Amino acid sequence: MSPVLAADLEIDSAMTLNQAKVGCDMQIRVLSGPGCDRLRDLGFCEQLQVRKLAGGRNLICSICGTRMAISRELAEQVLVSPVG
Amino acid sequence: MSAASDAPSTIALIGNPNAGKTTLFNALTGANQRVGNYAGVTVEVKSGETFTPHGRKLHVLDLPGCYSLRANSPDEKIALDALSGQLPGEPKPDIVVSVVDASNLERHLQLTLQIIELGLPCVLALNMVDVAERSGLRLDPAKFSEELGIPVVPMQANAKKGIVELKQALRFPHPIPAEVTWIAGASDPEAGRRAFIIRLCELAARRPDAHQQTLSDRIDSVLLHPVLGWISMLGIFFTVFWAIFSFAQIPMGWISNGQALLSGWVESLMADGDLRSLIVDGVIGGVGGVVTFLPQIILLFLFIGLLESSGYMARAAYLMDGVMAKAGLSGKSFLPLFSSYACAIPGVMATRTIDSAKERLVTIFVAPWMSCSARLPVYFLIIPLLLHEKEGTWKQALILFAIYALGTLTAFIVARLLRGRLGEDISPGHFLLELPPYRKPQWSYILRHVLDRALSFVKKAGTIILGLSILLWALSTYPKKAGADEAEALAHSAMGRIGAVIEPVVRPLGFDGRMGTAILTSFAAREVFVSSMAILYRVEETDDEEQTRNVLRDQLAASKWPDGRPIFTPLSLVSLLVFFIYALQCLPTTAVVARESGSWKWAAGQFVFMTGFAYVASLLVFQVGKLIGF
Repeated sequence: MSPVLAADLEIDSAMTLNQAKVGCDMQIRVLSGPGCDRLRDLGFCEQLQVRKLAGGRNLICSICGTRMAISRELAEQVLVSPVG
Repeated sequence: MSAASDAPSTIALIGNPNAGKTTLFNALTGANQRVGNYAGVTVEVKSGETFTPHGRKLHVLDLPGCYSLRANSPDEKIALDALSGQLPGEPKPDIVVSVVDASNLERHLQLTLQIIELGLPCVLALNMVDVAERSGLRLDPAKFSEELGIPVVPMQANAKKGIVELKQALRFPHPIPAEVTWIAGASDPEAGRRAFIIRLCELAARRPDAHQQTLSDRIDSVLLHPVLGWISMLGIFFTVFWAIFSFAQIPMGWISNGQALLSGWVESLMADGDLRSLIVDGVIGGVGGVVTFLPQIILLFLFIGLLESSGYMARAAYLMDGVMAKAGLSGKSFLPLFSSYACAIPGVMATRTIDSAKERLVTIFVAPWMSCSARLPVYFLIIPLLLHEKEGTWKQALILFAIYALGTLTAFIVARLLRGRLGEDISPGHFLLELPPYRKPQWSYILRHVLDRALSFVKKAGTIILGLSILLWALSTYPKKAGADEAEALAHSAMGRIGAVIEPVVRPLGFDGRMGTAILTSFAAREVFVSSMAILYRVEETDDEEQTRNVLRDQLAASKWPDGRPIFTPLSLVSLLVFFIYALQCLPTTAVVARESGSWKWAAGQFVFMTGFAYVASLLVFQVGKLIGF
């Protein structure tokens, strides 16, 4: 299977951080979009765990022990899947 | 030793925002730079000196916090320039200290790896090990050092632990640049770094449970709550403003009394004459009238310092993001605009944390419309004229609130229009903000910062305002006319003549020549307006502060046009207030705007626009008011 196809399949089964439920632990699968460099700088890297703490206009999530507020547009670029 | 080793080495401190670079810088150099619990408190490079245990001098640079070396925002660009030696006046660093928050390694190490990739010798300062260990993290500095190939120093900069060890690591000869092992074999540098960091953290920093409910989480569940959060925020900011106005009254009374005593003492010592008049009316009256407002300025900066240092400011920015979006801005503009209520200069400087260049320009443009503390003396002079204290102080407070609201609202409308005209950003910057854990305020730094602001205010009073007061006094005293009464003498003086020239310009706004002159002088600094009015309307100093102010007010209330109509009608006072809300009468602000926006045109345009807007707004208020029959 080519890496591109593998990534596509993963995207199909994952949801965006916006769709995730508040209070759930998620694992970051893929970052895709114009903001991903910025997101990676802030610690939103593939394979890391993230917990969504609040939704709304801007999301609050906890990643590597830090709370970050990010906009919905950015959260849309983070594909996650539930842990466990 | 060679000549190269005799010259002081340059050390650059770099790290993500909130990693504690400035705390470490202060601990190393003994300086007292401001520390905040908010990303972007350090927006420019600061430098200082320290010594190794062997007495070698080190030149230390404190760089603005950045998340990467990609230069996304102006402060990150500065950091990158400093590392590559492109910063004017500073040499290329000989060694880089990468400061990381030990409780946050997965994120902070990204930057460290990028620095090592630049080929600079690097020392890793594992800061805040206490916080990390309290959260259950098991750190192994030796393992880090082994894996990264650079010296690693665990430390706790706020308690000055690990400083000596860090200085040891900065000894000459410097460590050689580490080898980059993580890029070879990876699909791209980014992925290589990530994989390396995850492996490194598994080896050297074991985290028991990634998500423990901390105290900060529990506080946030209230302060960031969609309903309770807003109530708390309004409560906090209302308390801040209330405290500023009520607590400041007491020391303000002392200053005024002291000033009156001083005037009385000078008057009793000197014979009546020009020199006495210069000292009492010009110097003591002019400077004293402005220094009275020092307590309020101190309190405002104290509270802003407290809010920043505790970590609340980031929460306020998060909550305000929705409101700011209506003005075409984001939550990141909140801190600059809020700071502008104290003074537009730190406000404009704080815009460096805004990623979007266009949003930053717009924020800079409207910042001076947040009524700054320099306008307060003017408001406090005019409001009681408009509405006597007997009508109830709460009504006066309401007017003051309306003044702040009017300025802010207009700023938001203009920001929205301007943002629309500037168009979308090429690369959309999105709202992104770190919410730091709540920390105990660092009192020593806050107090130091407040003291700096207070001193710079006093310095301003002692230089610009003193100079202008003397100039004004001279202009309104000379040339003299023998045997004339006071009004005639003033009309004959240089000031009276300037006033006569200005009068046709300000007359449509409902002002007379003397007010026009006072407004003209206030373009150097707004506070000067009050001293100018006192000098121009010849108010005698009395030994009671309350009385002096009342005398000035009575004097103003009794002033009449040549045809007998009073000058200070409620309408002309409102017109005057409106003028002061909108006019950009502050040269230092214009200079800072020119520097920060990088264009004199932007600063000049802002000055012309705001002053023109003020004139037109006042004109409309006065003329429309007159038509309706006020």
